[in-house]
Amino acid sequence: MSSVATLPDRLGEYTEQMVAETGGDTRDGLVERLSLHALALGAVLLLVLPVVVAAIVSTKPTGIVTSVADLVPGRSGAANYRRALVGLGFWRFMLNSFVMAAIIVVGKLLVAALAALAIVYYRLPYKNLVFLVVLFTLMLPVPVRFVPLYRLVVELGWNNSFLAITVPYLASATTVFILRQHFRSIPSSLVETAKLDGVGPLRFLVSVLVPMSRGIIVGVSVIMFVYAWNQYLWPLVIIDTEGQQVAQVGLSLLRGQASSGEIAWSMVMTGSILTLLPPLALLVAFRKPLLETFTLQQR
Amino acid sequence: MATREIFENRLQAGLLLFPTMVVSAVFLYYPAIRAVGLSFFQASFGRDDAFVALDNYARLFTSGTYLDSVFVSVLFTAVVVAGVMAFGLCVTFLIHEVELGKSAYLIAAIWPYALPPAVAGLVFLFLFHPTLGLVTSYIEALGVTVDWFTNGPQAFVVVALAAVWKQIGYNVIFMTAAMNNVPDSLTEAANLDGVGRFQRLMRVYVPVMSPTLVFLVVINTIYGFFGTFPMVDLMTKGGPAGATNILIYDLWRTAFQFYDFGFASAKSVVLFVVVGALMYVQFRLSDRYAYYGG
Repeated sequence: MSSVATLPDRLGEYTEQMVAETGGDTRDGLVERLSLHALALGAVLLLVLPVVVAAIVSTKPTGIVTSVADLVPGRSGAANYRRALVGLGFWRFMLNSFVMAAIIVVGKLLVAALAALAIVYYRLPYKNLVFLVVLFTLMLPVPVRFVPLYRLVVELGWNNSFLAITVPYLASATTVFILRQHFRSIPSSLVETAKLDGVGPLRFLVSVLVPMSRGIIVGVSVIMFVYAWNQYLWPLVIIDTEGQQVAQVGLSLLRGQASSGEIAWSMVMTGSILTLLPPLALLVAFRKPLLETFTLQQR
Repeated sequence: MATREIFENRLQAGLLLFPTMVVSAVFLYYPAIRAVGLSFFQASFGRDDAFVALDNYARLFTSGTYLDSVFVSVLFTAVVVAGVMAFGLCVTFLIHEVELGKSAYLIAAIWPYALPPAVAGLVFLFLFHPTLGLVTSYIEALGVTVDWFTNGPQAFVVVALAAVWKQIGYNVIFMTAAMNNVPDSLTEAANLDGVGRFQRLMRVYVPVMSPTLVFLVVINTIYGFFGTFPMVDLMTKGGPAGATNILIYDLWRTAFQFYDFGFASAKSVVLFVVVGALMYVQFRLSDRYAYYGG
């Protein structure tokens, strides 16, 4: 491998030379580059177009769009969004989703930060076992335990409350794992200094670890928000009063009304766009820390 | 030697771990163990649980509906995993190869990570709607009658398309990171040898990316089994005639439409075994490939 490491520079020069010598190559190169762009553009258009269509339909009075010629924005945008939010009460679902996601994000971060602090910075017996117990919960997603969880939560009297859709999510193997990875990359000399200064664990967390983990905290928060916001199965099971329902399941109520002809399909697309916007906005705004956090998780 | 383990107080450590441990024990481990226990009982509302030993499991293996559901789930997941990974790899590679506008392409490719599965389901339900759908008339122009509300295989395909769409973003995120980690020297050596682009992708990049790809196969498989519930619920309700009745949907119906909690728990246990096996594969294989990341 060591000889390969010295190669890149020479190879770079060599390829430049080749390109310069074979002048006819550049035209082919241009064609190739353009066709690469055409392919890339085609691929991302496939990914983007469905949601563009949904956005256009959400501005139409009825949502009858049967050919590409119909794909011009309508004039009912404002009216549709007002009707969905106010008339059909979608604001309530959105608010519930926001509260749920906010509690889950803050709660998970707090609970996981404490656990990661203990796992990385304390001399403990059976530390690996503790970490394994946390990691093993990855094998217990909602689908494999939601029947007994339903009974448990009903017995606790939590059904139809925020407790039901937040507390069971607060232990997070992923967050503990990511924070642990990150804490372990903080130079131990810095940690030693903190020790010499006689800093207590919570002060250490707040004034040393948190400032050094800003990017990771933002990245994890976005991941957790998207995860919490997109939950569907558990709220569907445990929430059966409309006033407490979240946006995802609220969508299924809209779908039912559209199928039975009570509302137009444009209203379903309006609800869909509303439900998509918060996680999408976070992804676009925080893409950098988000991508960095994912790369860390991969190692 | 410097050490990170600067605190000694075990009581403090216990207190710090307490919230994670309590929530894990009460809401994760206890229900999982209860599921195993409940799978030996006949349980429903308003009745005491009655011990039935292995009856629920016997029912599983003799139930035509359940066995069909196993088949549909496996096929559906295989199609979704293959579709997501093939398309994801192509998009990632194209973005890797273009020089201008990389970050714009990247954001346009990863955004479905934020897409709620319910929204993916509804948008595809609308686009492919047999009477209202925008895409429908164009497919019918090719001579295919779009009637997936009654045609099983068609329903399967439409739900799978929505499922693939939603999962592309996540895959592109990880594939891009892995492809960027391929040493430049390998790319240059391949170019020097006159290896074509596609060959370079398949022979140079894919092998180096294999730990990430294995990880993604596992994640996508779990997604195919569980994460696609909202699409099935909103698009087909498991139909027509069970064509999209994947295991998680079948389980939900057993529990919350028929209130047959014991039978549903047996089905949960089967799903737990599936997740366990997948996680095991992931840990084994990525251990073997661990030397890549260094």
